[in-house]
Amino acid sequence: MKISVREAGDAKIVDVEGDVDLGSSPELRKALFGALQEVRKLALNLSQIRYIDSSGIATLVEVLKDSQRMKKDFVLFGLNPAVERVFKLTHVIRIFRVFASEQEAMESA
Amino acid sequence: MTSAQPVFHFKVVMPSDPRYLPVVRGVVCPLAAAIGWDEADCGAITLALDEALTNVIRHAYHGRADGVIELECKQSGDELEVTLWDQGEPPDMSKICALERGCLEPGGLGTHIIKDVMDTVSYQALPRGNRFLGVKRLRKTI
Repeated sequence: MKISVREAGDAKIVDVEGDVDLGSSPELRKALFGALQEVRKLALNLSQIRYIDSSGIATLVEVLKDSQRMKKDFVLFGLNPAVERVFKLTHVIRIFRVFASEQEAMESA
Repeated sequence: MTSAQPVFHFKVVMPSDPRYLPVVRGVVCPLAAAIGWDEADCGAITLALDEALTNVIRHAYHGRADGVIELECKQSGDELEVTLWDQGEPPDMSKICALERGCLEPGGLGTHIIKDVMDTVSYQALPRGNRFLGVKRLRKTI
């Protein structure tokens, strides 16, 4: 799994590539919690994720909870069909703000 | 002389180390495709097995990487039977599918996925060890 972080004004965009599973989700968790501290808005680009399991989904739920506690914005974009199926299987898709593109995610209030 | 149609059947012994999860996914997904499931179902079956292995690593072995997991995948007619054996802590039946889905709780999603994807699921603590058994049937549309 590869993780990189870009700045976009007062927001940050985290790009993730590869598989998110029990072995790699702690690294994603660390990157997301680190980035969340420094910004008003955090966007996660899921378009290059080939696979995500429930430990990855649980990580995103944890970040969402923390963002709400800190009154910050955490959004997702670029879900491919395989990743979207996992979100639907776990019934968590409705608790996230999900956008089709980076532009839509960054323009969202 | 006639003989029964040979079926795909493999057994592997692996450490309870998450590094090997992608290896298993790389075998099971093409196996499901070869039996006849479509891409979406292959992904779901692979995810369900990955979740079962993850549960063994996290809950039976408490994250230790030196436990032993025996994995067996067997095609039986139009079914895929997946069995896991481990020697860790027995499963706590009260925690299986205990949390409601779609809530803001990060844990407990894996057992729901397994139950939704597989047709039959069982968790047993036996003298030989803990056994997970999941069976998925191929539904023919023709």
